[in-house]
Amino acid sequence: MNGVADELLVGRVARSGDERAMSELYDRYAGLIYGAGVRYLGDQVLAEDLVQDVFTAVWRNASGFDPSRASFATWVYRITRNRATDLIRRRRARVRTVGGDTPFEPGEEDSTGELSRSFDLASALSRLSPAHREVLTLAYFDGLSQSEISRRTDTPLGTVKSRTTAALRALRESMSEGERG
Amino acid sequence: MSTHLELRDLLGPYVIGALEPEEKLQVEEHLGRCSSCKDEVRDLRLAHERLTELANTEQTPPQDLKSRVLGDPPRLETRRAPLAAAAAILCALAVLGVLYSTGLFAPDEVAAANLEATALASRAGGELRVHEEDPNAQAELEVWGLPRPGPNQYYELWFGEEGGRVSAGTFTVDEGGQETLYMTVPEDASGYGQVGITLEEFPEEPRMSAAKPVLTGELEES
Repeated sequence: MNGVADELLVGRVARSGDERAMSELYDRYAGLIYGAGVRYLGDQVLAEDLVQDVFTAVWRNASGFDPSRASFATWVYRITRNRATDLIRRRRARVRTVGGDTPFEPGEEDSTGELSRSFDLASALSRLSPAHREVLTLAYFDGLSQSEISRRTDTPLGTVKSRTTAALRALRESMSEGERG
Repeated sequence: MSTHLELRDLLGPYVIGALEPEEKLQVEEHLGRCSSCKDEVRDLRLAHERLTELANTEQTPPQDLKSRVLGDPPRLETRRAPLAAAAAILCALAVLGVLYSTGLFAPDEVAAANLEATALASRAGGELRVHEEDPNAQAELEVWGLPRPGPNQYYELWFGEEGGRVSAGTFTVDEGGQETLYMTVPEDASGYGQVGITLEEFPEEPRMSAAKPVLTGELEES
Protein backbone atom coordinates (compact mmCIF):
# COMPACT_ATOMS: atom_id res chain seq x y z
CA MET A 1 0.00 0.00 0.00
CA ASN A 2 3.07 2.23 0.25
CA GLY A 3 2.79 5.10 -2.17
CA VAL A 4 -0.94 4.67 -2.79
CA ALA A 5 -2.64 8.05 -2.50
CA ASP A 6 -4.79 8.67 0.56
CA GLU A 7 -7.77 9.40 -1.63
CA LEU A 8 -7.54 6.01 -3.34
CA LEU A 9 -7.29 4.28 0.02
CA VAL A 10 -10.37 5.97 1.43
CA GLY A 11 -12.18 5.06 -1.81
CA ARG A 12 -11.36 1.41 -1.16
CA VAL A 13 -12.65 1.74 2.38
CA ALA A 14 -15.88 3.27 1.09
CA ARG A 15 -16.45 0.66 -1.64
CA SER A 16 -15.49 -2.54 0.08
CA GLY A 17 -14.46 -1.85 3.65
CA ASP A 18 -10.87 -2.65 2.67
CA GLU A 19 -9.13 -3.40 5.96
CA ARG A 20 -5.61 -3.01 4.61
CA ALA A 21 -6.48 0.40 3.23
CA MET A 22 -7.87 1.43 6.60
CA SER A 23 -4.79 0.06 8.33
CA GLU A 24 -2.53 2.07 6.01
CA LEU A 25 -4.50 5.26 6.67
CA TYR A 26 -4.17 4.56 10.39
CA ASP A 27 -0.40 4.16 10.04
CA ARG A 28 -0.15 7.44 8.16
CA TYR A 29 -2.26 9.61 10.45
CA ALA A 30 -2.75 8.00 13.87
CA GLY A 31 0.53 9.35 15.28
CA LEU A 32 -0.37 12.85 14.21
CA ILE A 33 -3.91 12.66 15.59
CA TYR A 34 -2.67 11.15 18.83
CA GLY A 35 0.06 13.76 19.16
CA ALA A 36 -2.45 16.52 18.47
CA GLY A 37 -4.73 15.02 21.11
CA VAL A 38 -2.01 14.97 23.74
CA ARG A 39 -1.08 18.55 22.92
CA TYR A 40 -4.54 20.08 22.68
CA LEU A 41 -6.47 17.92 25.13
CA GLY A 42 -3.59 17.57 27.55
CA ASP A 43 -4.47 13.99 28.39
CA GLN A 44 -3.30 10.69 26.90
CA VAL A 45 -6.58 8.89 27.55
CA LEU A 46 -8.53 11.65 25.80
CA ALA A 47 -5.98 11.54 22.98
CA GLU A 48 -6.73 7.82 22.55
CA ASP A 49 -10.45 8.65 22.51
CA LEU A 50 -9.73 11.22 19.83
CA VAL A 51 -7.93 8.67 17.62
CA GLN A 52 -10.82 6.25 18.13
CA ASP A 53 -13.43 8.89 17.31
CA VAL A 54 -11.62 10.13 14.22
CA PHE A 55 -11.10 6.73 12.65
CA THR A 56 -14.64 5.67 13.48
CA ALA A 57 -15.84 8.80 11.69
CA VAL A 58 -13.56 8.08 8.72
CA TRP A 59 -14.85 4.53 8.55
CA ARG A 60 -18.49 5.52 8.77
CA ASN A 61 -18.34 8.49 6.46
CA ALA A 62 -15.85 7.24 3.87
CA SER A 63 -18.60 6.99 1.27
CA GLY A 64 -19.38 10.68 1.76
CA PHE A 65 -15.79 11.77 1.16
CA ASP A 66 -15.51 13.83 -2.01
CA PRO A 67 -11.88 14.23 -3.19
CA SER A 68 -12.90 17.02 -5.55
CA ARG A 69 -13.80 19.20 -2.54
CA ALA A 70 -10.83 18.57 -0.28
CA SER A 71 -7.86 16.28 0.14
CA PHE A 72 -8.14 13.40 2.57
CA ALA A 73 -5.64 15.17 4.83
CA THR A 74 -7.86 18.26 4.96
CA TRP A 75 -10.92 16.13 5.61
CA VAL A 76 -9.34 14.16 8.41
CA TYR A 77 -7.87 17.36 9.87
CA ARG A 78 -11.37 18.85 10.06
CA ILE A 79 -12.73 15.70 11.69
CA THR A 80 -9.87 15.78 14.20
CA ARG A 81 -10.45 19.44 15.01
CA ASN A 82 -14.21 18.93 15.40
CA ARG A 83 -13.83 15.88 17.62
CA ALA A 84 -11.18 17.58 19.71
CA THR A 85 -13.51 20.54 20.17
CA ASP A 86 -16.27 18.18 21.31
CA LEU A 87 -13.97 16.49 23.78
CA ILE A 88 -12.76 19.82 25.17
CA ARG A 89 -16.33 21.08 25.58
CA ARG A 90 -17.48 17.92 27.26
CA ARG A 91 -14.54 18.05 29.59
CA ARG A 92 -15.23 21.68 30.47
CA ALA A 93 -18.92 20.93 30.97
CA ARG A 94 -18.04 18.07 33.26
CA VAL A 95 -15.70 20.26 35.23
CA ARG A 96 -18.42 22.89 35.63
CA THR A 97 -20.91 20.24 36.69
CA VAL A 98 -18.82 18.86 39.49
CA GLY A 99 -17.68 22.33 40.51
CA GLY A 100 -14.10 21.26 41.17
CA ASP A 101 -10.90 22.91 40.18
CA THR A 102 -10.06 22.79 36.52
CA PRO A 103 -7.21 20.29 36.30
CA PHE A 104 -5.80 21.99 33.25
CA GLU A 105 -6.79 24.33 30.52
CA PRO A 106 -6.38 22.68 27.13
CA GLY A 107 -4.36 24.70 24.70
CA GLU A 108 -5.91 26.91 22.08
CA GLU A 109 -6.84 24.63 19.22
CA ASP A 110 -4.35 25.12 16.43
CA SER A 111 -4.43 28.91 16.56
CA THR A 112 -1.19 29.03 14.58
CA GLY A 113 -2.35 26.59 11.90
CA GLU A 114 0.52 24.25 12.79
CA LEU A 115 -1.72 21.21 13.03
CA SER A 116 -3.35 21.95 9.70
CA ARG A 117 0.09 22.24 8.08
CA SER A 118 1.17 18.98 9.68
CA PHE A 119 -1.77 17.11 8.16
CA ASP A 120 -0.94 18.56 4.75
CA LEU A 121 2.66 17.51 5.20
CA ALA A 122 1.70 13.98 6.26
CA SER A 123 -0.26 13.78 3.03
CA ALA A 124 2.67 15.13 1.00
CA LEU A 125 4.96 12.60 2.68
CA SER A 126 2.65 9.73 1.76
CA ARG A 127 2.98 10.64 -1.92
CA LEU A 128 6.78 10.17 -1.95
CA SER A 129 8.52 7.07 -3.25
CA PRO A 130 9.22 4.43 -0.58
CA ALA A 131 12.98 5.16 -0.71
CA HIS A 132 12.50 8.89 -0.23
CA ARG A 133 9.94 8.43 2.52
CA GLU A 134 12.19 5.95 4.30
CA VAL A 135 15.23 8.22 4.44
CA LEU A 136 13.17 11.14 5.78
CA THR A 137 11.33 8.97 8.29
CA LEU A 138 14.59 7.60 9.65
CA ALA A 139 16.13 11.07 9.88
CA TYR A 140 13.20 13.02 11.33
CA PHE A 141 10.99 10.56 13.17
CA ASP A 142 13.57 8.01 14.32
CA GLY A 143 16.26 10.63 14.83
CA LEU A 144 19.03 8.71 13.05
CA SER A 145 22.18 10.39 11.77
CA GLN A 146 23.19 9.99 8.12
CA SER A 147 25.79 7.37 9.13
CA GLU A 148 23.21 5.45 11.15
CA ILE A 149 20.81 5.51 8.21
CA SER A 150 23.63 4.20 6.02
CA ARG A 151 24.18 1.26 8.36
CA ARG A 152 20.49 0.63 8.97
CA THR A 153 19.63 0.51 5.26
CA ASP A 154 22.92 -0.97 4.11
CA THR A 155 23.39 1.94 1.72
CA PRO A 156 26.64 3.85 1.04
CA LEU A 157 26.87 7.06 3.07
CA GLY A 158 27.24 9.18 -0.07
CA THR A 159 24.02 7.72 -1.45
CA VAL A 160 22.21 8.43 1.82
CA LYS A 161 23.28 12.08 1.61
CA SER A 162 22.24 12.56 -2.01
CA ARG A 163 19.00 10.67 -1.34
CA THR A 164 18.24 12.93 1.60
CA THR A 165 18.62 15.92 -0.70
CA ALA A 166 16.45 14.33 -3.39
CA ALA A 167 13.82 13.34 -0.81
CA LEU A 168 13.57 16.85 0.64
CA ARG A 169 13.32 18.23 -2.91
CA ALA A 170 10.56 15.73 -3.77
CA LEU A 171 8.74 16.60 -0.56
CA ARG A 172 8.90 20.30 -1.37
CA GLU A 173 7.39 19.56 -4.79
CA SER A 174 4.74 17.34 -3.24
CA MET A 175 3.86 20.14 -0.81
CA SER A 176 3.41 22.49 -3.77
CA GLU A 177 1.18 19.95 -5.53
CA GLY A 178 -0.95 19.76 -2.43
CA GLU A 179 -1.24 23.54 -2.25
CA ARG A 180 -2.28 23.69 -5.92
CA GLY A 181 -4.58 20.66 -5.67
CA MET B 1 37.53 20.46 -5.18
CA SER B 2 33.97 19.16 -5.47
CA THR B 3 31.83 20.01 -8.46
CA HIS B 4 28.55 21.91 -8.46
CA LEU B 5 26.55 18.68 -8.81
CA GLU B 6 28.43 16.97 -6.00
CA LEU B 7 27.87 19.91 -3.69
CA ARG B 8 24.24 20.17 -4.76
CA ASP B 9 23.75 16.60 -3.55
CA LEU B 10 24.87 17.68 -0.09
CA LEU B 11 22.32 20.45 0.32
CA GLY B 12 19.80 18.19 2.09
CA PRO B 13 22.21 17.09 4.84
CA TYR B 14 23.45 20.70 4.98
CA VAL B 15 19.95 21.98 5.74
CA ILE B 16 19.47 19.25 8.35
CA GLY B 17 22.83 20.10 9.92
CA ALA B 18 24.27 16.66 9.24
CA LEU B 19 27.45 17.47 7.31
CA GLU B 20 31.01 17.05 8.50
CA PRO B 21 32.71 20.41 9.23
CA GLU B 22 34.83 20.23 6.07
CA GLU B 23 31.84 19.43 3.84
CA LYS B 24 29.84 22.19 5.46
CA LEU B 25 32.60 24.69 4.74
CA GLN B 26 32.74 23.64 1.07
CA VAL B 27 28.97 23.94 0.71
CA GLU B 28 28.91 27.39 2.31
CA GLU B 29 31.70 28.63 0.05
CA HIS B 30 29.76 27.29 -2.94
CA LEU B 31 26.54 28.95 -1.81
CA GLY B 32 28.36 32.28 -1.79
CA ARG B 33 28.76 32.10 -5.56
CA CYS B 34 25.88 29.84 -6.77
CA SER B 35 22.44 31.48 -6.75
CA SER B 36 20.62 28.34 -7.95
CA CYS B 37 21.96 26.32 -5.01
CA LYS B 38 21.04 29.21 -2.72
CA ASP B 39 17.46 29.05 -4.02
CA GLU B 40 17.50 25.29 -3.59
CA VAL B 41 18.55 25.66 0.05
CA ARG B 42 15.62 28.02 0.64
CA ASP B 43 13.20 25.43 -0.77
CA LEU B 44 14.75 22.51 1.11
CA ARG B 45 14.74 24.50 4.33
CA LEU B 46 10.98 24.98 4.07
CA ALA B 47 10.49 21.22 3.71
CA HIS B 48 12.90 20.68 6.62
CA GLU B 49 11.03 23.12 8.87
CA ARG B 50 7.69 21.51 8.11
CA LEU B 51 9.10 18.04 8.74
CA THR B 52 10.51 19.21 12.06
CA GLU B 53 7.12 20.65 12.96
CA LEU B 54 5.40 17.38 12.04
CA ALA B 55 7.94 15.32 13.97
CA ASN B 56 7.36 17.52 17.02
CA THR B 57 3.59 17.04 16.80
CA GLU B 58 3.50 13.32 16.10
CA GLN B 59 3.63 10.92 19.00
CA THR B 60 3.60 7.17 18.95
CA PRO B 61 0.22 5.95 20.18
CA PRO B 62 0.01 2.97 22.55
CA GLN B 63 0.71 -0.23 20.63
CA ASP B 64 -2.66 -1.79 21.34
CA LEU B 65 -4.60 1.27 20.18
CA LYS B 66 -4.61 0.20 16.54
CA SER B 67 -6.30 -3.09 17.29
CA ARG B 68 -8.77 -1.31 19.55
CA VAL B 69 -9.55 1.26 16.89
CA LEU B 70 -9.69 -0.97 13.85
CA GLY B 71 -10.86 -4.09 15.59
CA ASP B 72 -10.42 -7.61 14.35
CA PRO B 73 -11.40 -8.42 10.76
CA PRO B 74 -14.90 -9.76 11.49
CA ARG B 75 -15.71 -6.48 13.20
CA LEU B 76 -14.50 -4.53 10.21
CA GLU B 77 -16.69 -6.66 7.98
CA THR B 78 -19.75 -5.37 9.74
CA ARG B 79 -18.97 -1.84 8.70
CA ARG B 80 -19.06 -2.44 5.02
CA ALA B 81 -22.44 -1.06 4.11
CA PRO B 82 -23.05 2.11 6.06
CA LEU B 83 -25.61 3.42 3.62
CA ALA B 84 -27.62 0.23 3.53
CA ALA B 85 -27.40 0.07 7.26
CA ALA B 86 -28.70 3.62 7.49
CA ALA B 87 -32.03 2.54 6.12
CA ALA B 88 -33.63 1.54 9.39
CA ILE B 89 -33.14 4.81 11.18
CA LEU B 90 -33.94 6.80 8.09
CA CYS B 91 -37.21 4.94 7.63
CA ALA B 92 -38.06 5.92 11.16
CA LEU B 93 -37.05 9.49 10.48
CA ALA B 94 -38.79 9.72 7.13
CA VAL B 95 -42.28 9.52 8.55
CA LEU B 96 -41.76 12.83 10.24
CA GLY B 97 -41.81 14.91 7.09
CA VAL B 98 -40.21 15.92 3.86
CA LEU B 99 -36.59 16.79 3.62
CA TYR B 100 -35.57 20.23 4.54
CA SER B 101 -34.27 21.09 1.13
CA THR B 102 -32.99 24.63 1.34
CA GLY B 103 -29.81 23.71 3.18
CA LEU B 104 -29.35 24.25 6.85
CA PHE B 105 -26.10 25.95 7.24
CA ALA B 106 -26.21 29.04 5.13
CA PRO B 107 -24.55 32.02 6.82
CA ASP B 108 -26.44 33.29 9.88
CA GLU B 109 -29.11 30.65 9.53
CA VAL B 110 -30.29 28.82 12.62
CA ALA B 111 -32.32 25.63 12.66
CA ALA B 112 -34.07 23.73 15.41
CA ALA B 113 -35.83 20.44 15.89
CA ASN B 114 -38.20 19.05 18.48
CA LEU B 115 -37.22 15.48 19.17
CA GLU B 116 -40.11 13.07 19.51
CA ALA B 117 -39.89 9.80 21.39
CA THR B 118 -40.23 6.41 19.77
CA ALA B 119 -41.72 3.38 21.49
CA LEU B 120 -38.25 2.54 22.80
CA ALA B 121 -38.25 5.59 25.07
CA SER B 122 -41.84 6.72 25.31
CA ARG B 123 -41.25 9.22 28.12
CA ALA B 124 -38.29 10.89 26.47
CA GLY B 125 -38.10 14.17 24.63
CA GLY B 126 -35.54 16.61 23.41
CA GLU B 127 -34.67 19.75 21.56
CA LEU B 128 -31.88 20.41 19.13
CA ARG B 129 -30.76 23.88 18.12
CA VAL B 130 -28.21 24.50 15.39
CA HIS B 131 -26.12 27.64 15.61
CA GLU B 132 -24.06 28.82 12.73
CA GLU B 133 -20.59 29.46 14.03
CA ASP B 134 -17.23 29.79 12.45
CA PRO B 135 -15.79 27.43 11.33
CA ASN B 136 -18.51 24.79 11.89
CA ALA B 137 -22.15 24.83 12.84
CA GLN B 138 -22.74 23.88 16.46
CA ALA B 139 -25.59 21.78 17.79
CA GLU B 140 -27.00 22.35 21.26
CA LEU B 141 -28.79 19.21 22.31
CA GLU B 142 -31.05 18.91 25.32
CA VAL B 143 -32.65 15.59 26.14
CA TRP B 144 -34.75 14.34 29.01
CA GLY B 145 -36.49 11.16 30.09
CA LEU B 146 -34.04 8.87 28.29
CA PRO B 147 -33.42 5.52 29.93
CA ARG B 148 -29.97 5.33 31.45
CA PRO B 149 -27.83 3.24 29.07
CA GLY B 150 -26.54 -0.13 30.18
CA PRO B 151 -22.82 -0.65 30.93
CA ASN B 152 -21.98 -1.27 27.26
CA GLN B 153 -24.44 1.14 25.73
CA TYR B 154 -24.38 4.78 24.67
CA TYR B 155 -26.46 7.26 22.71
CA GLU B 156 -25.45 8.70 19.36
CA LEU B 157 -26.73 11.80 17.58
CA TRP B 158 -27.15 11.55 13.81
CA PHE B 159 -27.91 13.96 11.01
CA GLY B 160 -29.45 12.28 8.01
CA GLU B 161 -31.31 12.38 4.78
CA GLU B 162 -32.60 9.66 2.56
CA GLY B 163 -29.68 7.45 1.68
CA GLY B 164 -27.14 8.60 4.22
CA ARG B 165 -26.38 9.81 7.68
CA VAL B 166 -23.43 11.14 9.60
CA SER B 167 -22.66 10.95 13.27
CA ALA B 168 -22.31 14.13 15.31
CA GLY B 169 -21.04 12.35 18.40
CA THR B 170 -21.92 10.10 21.27
CA PHE B 171 -23.14 10.74 24.79
CA THR B 172 -24.75 9.25 27.80
CA VAL B 173 -27.26 10.62 30.31
CA ASP B 174 -27.44 10.93 34.07
CA GLU B 175 -29.73 8.93 36.30
CA GLY B 176 -32.54 11.35 35.61
CA GLY B 177 -32.20 10.72 31.90
CA GLN B 178 -31.17 14.31 31.22
CA GLU B 179 -28.25 15.87 29.42
CA THR B 180 -27.37 19.11 27.70
CA LEU B 181 -24.57 18.88 25.17
CA TYR B 182 -22.79 21.02 22.65
CA MET B 183 -21.62 19.16 19.60
CA THR B 184 -19.98 20.14 16.36
CA VAL B 185 -22.14 19.48 13.33
CA PRO B 186 -20.07 17.51 10.80
CA GLU B 187 -19.44 19.37 7.60
CA ASP B 188 -20.91 16.41 5.75
CA ALA B 189 -24.27 17.10 7.40
CA SER B 190 -24.77 20.34 5.53
CA GLY B 191 -28.24 20.18 3.98
CA TYR B 192 -29.38 17.20 6.03
CA GLY B 193 -32.84 17.82 7.39
CA GLN B 194 -33.43 14.96 9.76
CA VAL B 195 -31.96 14.20 13.12
CA GLY B 196 -32.14 11.14 15.27
CA ILE B 197 -30.71 9.69 18.42
CA THR B 198 -30.01 6.00 18.59
CA LEU B 199 -29.08 3.66 21.38
CA GLU B 200 -25.87 1.89 20.41
CA GLU B 201 -23.91 -0.87 22.00
CA PHE B 202 -20.22 -1.63 22.45
CA PRO B 203 -18.36 -3.41 20.98
CA GLU B 204 -20.66 -3.61 17.96
CA GLU B 205 -20.28 -0.91 15.39
CA PRO B 206 -23.58 0.84 14.67
CA ARG B 207 -25.48 -1.12 12.05
CA MET B 208 -28.72 0.00 10.59
CA SER B 209 -30.23 -3.40 10.86
CA ALA B 210 -29.79 -3.08 14.60
CA ALA B 211 -30.43 0.66 14.90
CA LYS B 212 -32.60 1.61 17.83
CA PRO B 213 -33.88 5.15 17.31
CA VAL B 214 -35.11 6.60 20.58
CA LEU B 215 -35.68 10.20 19.50
CA THR B 216 -36.31 11.57 16.02
CA GLY B 217 -37.02 14.96 14.57
CA GLU B 218 -36.95 17.20 11.58
CA LEU B 219 -34.90 20.36 11.47
CA GLU B 220 -36.74 23.54 10.63
CA GLU B 221 -35.38 26.94 10.01
CA SER B 222 -35.76 29.15 13.05
